[in-house]
Amino acid sequence: MLARIITGLSAGAAYALVAVGVVLIFKCTRVLSIAQGEIGAFGFFIGLRWAARGIPGLGWHPARFATLLIAVVVGALLGGLIERIVIRPLVDRPPLDALIATLGIALFLALLEKEMFGTATQFAPSPVGEWKVTVLGATLIAPRIVALAAAAIVALAVYLFFSRTRFGLAVRATTGDSTVAQLMGVRVNRVYRFAWVAAGALAGLAAALLGPAFGGLTPFAMTKFSLRALAGAVIGGLDSIWGAILGSLLVGVLEAVVGGQFTTSGTAELSVLLLVIATLVVRPQGLLGTEGAT
Amino acid sequence: MNGAPVETLLAVEDLCSGYGSLQVLFNVDLDVRVGEVVALMGSNGAGKTTTLRAITGQLRKTGGRVRFAGTDVTRERTESLVARGISVVPEGRGMLRDLTVAENLEMGGYAIRDRRAVAEATDRAYETFPILGERREQKAGRLSGGQQQMLAVARALISSPRLLLVDEASLGLSPVMTETVFALIADVRRTSGTAVLLVEQNAGALDLADRAFVLEKGQVVDRAEGAEMRAMQGRLRDAYLGRREAG
Amino acid sequence: MQPSRVATMIVVLAAIGGSLLLGDVKLSILVGVIVTAIAALGLDVLVARTGELSLAHAAFLGIGAFTAINVGSRGAPWPVAILVAVATTAAAATIAGLPSLRIRGLQVAITTLAFQGFADVFLFTRADVTAAGRTWSRPSFLRTDVRLYVFALTLLALVLVVRHRVAVTKAGRTFLAVRDIEDRARVFGVEPGPSKLLAYAISGAIVGLGGSLFALKAGSISAKDPFLLLESLQLVAILVVGGTGSAAGIVTAAVLVKGVPQFMSTIPFTDLKADRIVPIGSAALLVVAVVVSPEGIGGLYRAAGRLLDRMVGGGRRERPEPRPRVVDARAPGAALLPHVDRPLSLRMPVPALLEADDVRVEYGGVSALDGVSLEVRRGEIVGLIGANGAGKSTFFNAVSGLAPVTGSIRFRGVELVRRPASIRSALGTARTFQDLGLVRAESVQENLLLSQTWLARYAAAVGIVGLGGSVRTERELRRRGGIALEVFGLDHLARERVGSLPYGTMRIVEIAAAVAAGPDLLLLDEATAGLGPEESHALGDRFLVIRDELDLTLVIVEHHVPLVARVCDYAYCLESGVLIAEGKPLDVTADPRVVESFLGAGAASTGTASGGATP
Repeated sequence: MLARIITGLSAGAAYALVAVGVVLIFKCTRVLSIAQGEIGAFGFFIGLRWAARGIPGLGWHPARFATLLIAVVVGALLGGLIERIVIRPLVDRPPLDALIATLGIALFLALLEKEMFGTATQFAPSPVGEWKVTVLGATLIAPRIVALAAAAIVALAVYLFFSRTRFGLAVRATTGDSTVAQLMGVRVNRVYRFAWVAAGALAGLAAALLGPAFGGLTPFAMTKFSLRALAGAVIGGLDSIWGAILGSLLVGVLEAVVGGQFTTSGTAELSVLLLVIATLVVRPQGLLGTEGAT
Repeated sequence: MNGAPVETLLAVEDLCSGYGSLQVLFNVDLDVRVGEVVALMGSNGAGKTTTLRAITGQLRKTGGRVRFAGTDVTRERTESLVARGISVVPEGRGMLRDLTVAENLEMGGYAIRDRRAVAEATDRAYETFPILGERREQKAGRLSGGQQQMLAVARALISSPRLLLVDEASLGLSPVMTETVFALIADVRRTSGTAVLLVEQNAGALDLADRAFVLEKGQVVDRAEGAEMRAMQGRLRDAYLGRREAG
Repeated sequence: MQPSRVATMIVVLAAIGGSLLLGDVKLSILVGVIVTAIAALGLDVLVARTGELSLAHAAFLGIGAFTAINVGSRGAPWPVAILVAVATTAAAATIAGLPSLRIRGLQVAITTLAFQGFADVFLFTRADVTAAGRTWSRPSFLRTDVRLYVFALTLLALVLVVRHRVAVTKAGRTFLAVRDIEDRARVFGVEPGPSKLLAYAISGAIVGLGGSLFALKAGSISAKDPFLLLESLQLVAILVVGGTGSAAGIVTAAVLVKGVPQFMSTIPFTDLKADRIVPIGSAALLVVAVVVSPEGIGGLYRAAGRLLDRMVGGGRRERPEPRPRVVDARAPGAALLPHVDRPLSLRMPVPALLEADDVRVEYGGVSALDGVSLEVRRGEIVGLIGANGAGKSTFFNAVSGLAPVTGSIRFRGVELVRRPASIRSALGTARTFQDLGLVRAESVQENLLLSQTWLARYAAAVGIVGLGGSVRTERELRRRGGIALEVFGLDHLARERVGSLPYGTMRIVEIAAAVAAGPDLLLLDEATAGLGPEESHALGDRFLVIRDELDLTLVIVEHHVPLVARVCDYAYCLESGVLIAEGKPLDVTADPRVVESFLGAGAASTGTASGGATP
């Protein structure tokens, strides 16, 4: 049981990386992005391709660890690009429009991956090595441990960013009341871009750790994984970063525990879905979210 | 101002604006001179807040021009106004509720490069408003209405503006609190020479204003200065409540 | 007939005629395209009419298909199999729609995503659900592919008819009202909850029909791909690229996305492989459509139609003057409007039509109305004035059932408190809203039908098939709507979209809509906002006229106090939720407390106002 909880926590930590991005985007731009999984996956696919075949034009084969960096950078760039050309024109439109747009982006990236890399599962060697650690009966492979550590570091970084930096303060002001922030001289478009870039980078990091942990990646698989991150964000509260982390860990643990108890396929996923629906119906703002924020 | 020539700080000419197909402002003209307090009066729905939002670029202008200190700022982005010297106390006080008092003040100086000046202005704010100093770490959303209004004014002053735009400072405040806030604004002008445009329904604003404009249905229908100001209150009453046949 | 209509018919007939000449394989592909088109059209009923997005429609398609096979393969006649499939899918969609009673928008989209996930990993992995190994053989009259294709076209036509019926009856109208004005629709007699669920049911039923067609074509199903998440996203793509609300656009998009990759191996003039490029292209097009052209292909069709009408039909349609006409004569039939059958016999003689006694409204511990007692006598025009936040609109909300009230509000002696908002119009009250309680996307005429929802006494679902006296009722409501428009000089604007009118005109349309519902008491919230001085004046005169012509009693909330003084018989002034003065309008505006409330403390004592100490 304890072992399962620990395994679940490590999966939840990876979901949390995506979920923090989802919440950051939601807080800043009021957009619910379901493209985060695929944004990250695309970055990691590129990283894998370059590691195997060399960077086009340079012929240089990045080291395995660099696939993670490439995933992060490509994810960040994609996020910034999407904010600029897709999200910004949708600012004053109904929130569902932007949701549909991110859905189109997810679909587009998944199909593009299919074109570029084929439908077969991409063997994804771990960018962080092949070692293992056994804690309290749970054997965790390297990507899972790094995911746990990364989630902790991200949580700390988020805390420091928002409490110690001027730009972090400006982001908080913008999420509180963008009109007032503008009057104070905050260039809110920069805040929005920052949210998408940071979320893209986190998605890339998550993909590089989740892919190997789940034995490889196929196009669209990350969207399915990222639905758990979305579930975590919704359960924790779409406008609360701490809620997103808590919710994602909960989802990871629930999946691991239920999946261990019942062998019928799909039961673990079902339990998560039920928890999401129950949360939305009983407490629509989520565990730590603000009422009326969504 | 020691007989210095009267200089126009803010000039609004022919301003038209509205929401979608609803035109609210029809060719509004008004101006604020250096160092004076101007009241823009009007009852509910007369277009006061709309005027302010159109000036600051939060609302699209469908016509007219706005000049500040000789520069055309008609198309200026809202974000750039603070750096130019225009500071706003927004409608409903514009509290960043989840930020602390100190953080709200910090945001007031966000766009100002001179960090020393900001630090000094912040110290001054705590001196002027000891209550804000006591509640430095409290969330702004948990202050009382009057304290929030003080914070909003203090925050707007951190950038040492040349012009302060105040949107309905009296709204939702008790009469005593309203007087305090008005007194405070009079102080601001006296001590820092900052010009103030007070957007108000409350006639008490006339007591501290040098000049006044009255809006009705999106048009300036009346204006007064100097000795005429005293007669203004009666006229304002007519504008809000209708003219009486006798009296 | 308009040239664009003729052209549409020619194109549709040519497409159908031409397609019948195709070989069996291609016809079979087209049946698959029609399945997708039907599913997308079903999704569109939900998205275009309720504004809610479902990401589970592929799952519904699967439920329909699997149910049809399960029932059909067990020997049930084919119509039974289809009916059961349609009913089951409608039920599944309704269940999936239940959360929308509590939440909306993004959150609903998430729950449907969860439902699709549930279907993916749980439902469609069960052999009993997916009818594994079972085969439903087609009835003999559908054995050939041509026949199946014609049958598919018939189903598609049926779906289009249903969509049309939804649009022109109570069902579609109330869906839009719930989408755009939510709770405020209740004052028209709309019940938001049942209305939403009905939309899910209709949407599900249509998709269930599509699923049945899928089952008829396939006979047995082993691959689950057409029913999984990816397909749901693709249905949304087809819908958005085609343009929500546009059947022609959606069918075109279905042909492009599903048909083209199978009909041609490469895209003409290029060497791009169609089956690989079309899905990516449609995803990219989805993003482009959302950002650049939310009306999609349907929007292009409409633009082409307008162009054709202008070129062939000679001259463009004159846009009518978007202001009310001056009405001086009594509108014919105006006296008919008040004659409506009330569900309860209420014509009892009470001195006051409306009596409010100690009415209190609290929002989150803040008191918006604090013990207000007032009365409105029959045939009066009563003004309600006060500064911002005084509680004027809250009082209207209390009377129309949109605010949590304690105390007592009696209308014609009947207690209103704790009665649902949706029956107030039947009792005889109507109102307008400060921020417009109309559906801007619809025509003036449709809005005047919407406001009479309480008079449309047929079940919404029954109306879709034209039964329950719905046809006769609709005709009567149209007539009443026409009269109300004439009363306000708006009849020339009946076909205009409300949102395209100047704000001031919208406000008058809203008053006309309220009057069409045949009320005895009309509550007008800031009727003159957005009107110029002359128009305001004219509207004030109109109040006096409709009071007499239509036997109305009016309560008006008005910022422009001089108007109140001119038209009202009696006035009340509120401040911070408390009544501070009442009486003849001129006495109220002279009351020192009222002056102080409008001008601020101290104003009354500076000697400029009408002096005198507060009593």
